[in-house]
Amino acid sequence: MLRAKSLLILMLTLILSSGVLILSCRSGEGPITAEVVIIHSTNLPLDPNDPIWNAAPKHLAKLIPQDLVEPRLMKASTSEVQIKAVSNGTNVAFRLEWLDDVKNDLPGPAKFIDGCAVQVPSKIAANVPDPQMGQAGQSVEITFWRADWQAIMNGRKDSIKELYPNAAIDHYPFEAKPLEKDPVAQSEMQKRYAPARALGNNREGPRDSAVEELIAEGPGSLSPAPNPTGAKGKGLYNGKGWSVVILRSLPKDLSPNTRSQIAFAVWEGGHKEVGARKMRSGWVPLLMKAEGELSKNAY
Amino acid sequence: MARVYNWQIGREMSYWYPESRPEKQFAAVFDINKCIACQTCTLACKTTWTSGRGQEYMLWNNVETKPYGSYPLAWDLNLLDSLQGQEWQGNVYQGQTVFEAAPEGERVLGWRPDEHDYSYPNVGEDDCAGQIEKGASLDLPHMMWFYYLARICNHCTYPACLAACPRGSIYKRPEDGIVLVDQDRCRGYQECVRGCPYKKVFFNPMTGTSEKCIACFPKIEQGIQPQCFVNCIGKIRLAGWLSKPEEAKPENPLDYLVHVRKIALPLFPQFGLEPNIYYIPPVHVPTHFLRQMFGPGVDEAVKQYRNIAQDPDLAGLLALFGSTEFIVPRWKRQGDLVIGMSEKGTELIKVPMREPIHIRGAYDPKYNIARVNCP
Ligand code: SF4
Ligand code: SF4
Repeated sequence: MLRAKSLLILMLTLILSSGVLILSCRSGEGPITAEVVIIHSTNLPLDPNDPIWNAAPKHLAKLIPQDLVEPRLMKASTSEVQIKAVSNGTNVAFRLEWLDDVKNDLPGPAKFIDGCAVQVPSKIAANVPDPQMGQAGQSVEITFWRADWQAIMNGRKDSIKELYPNAAIDHYPFEAKPLEKDPVAQSEMQKRYAPARALGNNREGPRDSAVEELIAEGPGSLSPAPNPTGAKGKGLYNGKGWSVVILRSLPKDLSPNTRSQIAFAVWEGGHKEVGARKMRSGWVPLLMKAEGELSKNAY
Repeated sequence: MARVYNWQIGREMSYWYPESRPEKQFAAVFDINKCIACQTCTLACKTTWTSGRGQEYMLWNNVETKPYGSYPLAWDLNLLDSLQGQEWQGNVYQGQTVFEAAPEGERVLGWRPDEHDYSYPNVGEDDCAGQIEKGASLDLPHMMWFYYLARICNHCTYPACLAACPRGSIYKRPEDGIVLVDQDRCRGYQECVRGCPYKKVFFNPMTGTSEKCIACFPKIEQGIQPQCFVNCIGKIRLAGWLSKPEEAKPENPLDYLVHVRKIALPLFPQFGLEPNIYYIPPVHVPTHFLRQMFGPGVDEAVKQYRNIAQDPDLAGLLALFGSTEFIVPRWKRQGDLVIGMSEKGTELIKVPMREPIHIRGAYDPKYNIARVNCP
């Protein structure tokens, strides 16, 4: 009797666990891994829907509120971001997916924008920098994607009417009659009313990438990367959440023989998340598979 | 948090950074009694600095009608409400400043105005709210008074905008105390907008950065007063340099009005920022209302202003307001004349305390005609 019961439990366990296996490997879905595993692919997909992603293993990165430096995020929002990674040996593409029931991609007073970021140590060393944006002398590289930059890349025009369709503007001085035939004078004058743009601080306006390459040596020290490598990004909103690909150069010295770390952050605009007010992960181990090494051998 | 001294609240307080006063502090006095709400100042600023894309809604200088008007909406009421009890004992503030009252996880106590809060400047501020039935009588909870409050950034000694920025993108210039947002460093987090209790930093959605009053620093550097000062129709404004109270010099017009005569008072000193735009309070307004807005010095200030006809020095100095575009760091009165001077004592402007009066008769004997007043 007792033996029959144990057998039943054993059988049930087997059935259930095979179910889990089937679930996690369902058509085209890669397995779930404890680290971020970069698989090899000659083609690097920028499109989040590219079938190449199907084969890649998935890591579920737990996010916690940034609660170490003020201003802190006092209420948790996005709890998890799903990560996949593919490399061609020169560049690496990360796909980040998270749930967000409202798309926030319009800048404005008290309006904040959905975004995500990938962070790696600037160099691979035994002594890992602080996961909160590095520390003095131990910098981190951050690739940052934002939903409004995506909208600009998707064709949103550089006009206040795109943000406020009913805006009525009497007159901009740079559109005055005498300047009409002089586009140089016009743009010079326009710049005078937009000092951030004049300085090349392109938070908004025309751009050629939906991402930004940055470095940091601790909170508050974020600066443009001194040697940008042409990182790209593409985000799609599907009504339930975001699927974003961030494509950057392979972190320095990362190879199939080395291990490194990676961290992630997600901002939910609708939750007034911006800057330090964000959900972030700790360091997650980063592992790179060699060319020809099958992803299913990852575990 | 560091401990710093704020003379406006008569005590030490907590601030995000240690005390570091500029070599000279840009400051100004606005005489509320003379403002006519013509908004010339607002337009002078608007056309000079905020005519660009994304700046449409911004008023670095605005003039609102108190007690009901505010831009952005309820900027003052919202904060007063969350700051709670604001008791004074003599000249010492007993309550908490925005730094001391910062909730857990925040650098300052603040709030975020949304788009609608900026959307209706001056609308309905001094209109009747509706039809009055059965004859023209109003039953309001307060006296029938109002006044105009012209506001720019206060270039505070302890700026909350600066304290709130996690990137250190806001700085106070050591040479003149002007507070600026570094447009190269700003990443548009809007923490300064949230933190400034006066709501004098604005987010520009077209540049993605926050922008604010720059005290017309290119003019200040030339010894000239800002646009909203030199264009003021009511001649209510005087810009200059303010010393620390213990270093006040009576020959400095700002020191004289703020420290010596104490007739010009800070706006909401209890917030704790040591703001540097000082107001001569309106004399027709109940002082219990004014005390909340300008602190405990109100009664004495109102008394002095009412007595101005017997106070030639004070009356004389007020005649200097709006008389020259130059910053007047020194002044003196000589009989019926008031003289504005440079730091070295060179005369910049001389004004009579009373304009000479010329009476034109109703009849012009030369042309043998009666004069009429033409509009
Ligand atoms: S220009 Fe002078 S008088 Fe007119 S609203 Fe401005 S401060 Fe008042
Ligand atoms: S008034 Fe506001 S914006 Fe101006 S310095 Fe003070 S805190 Fe900053």
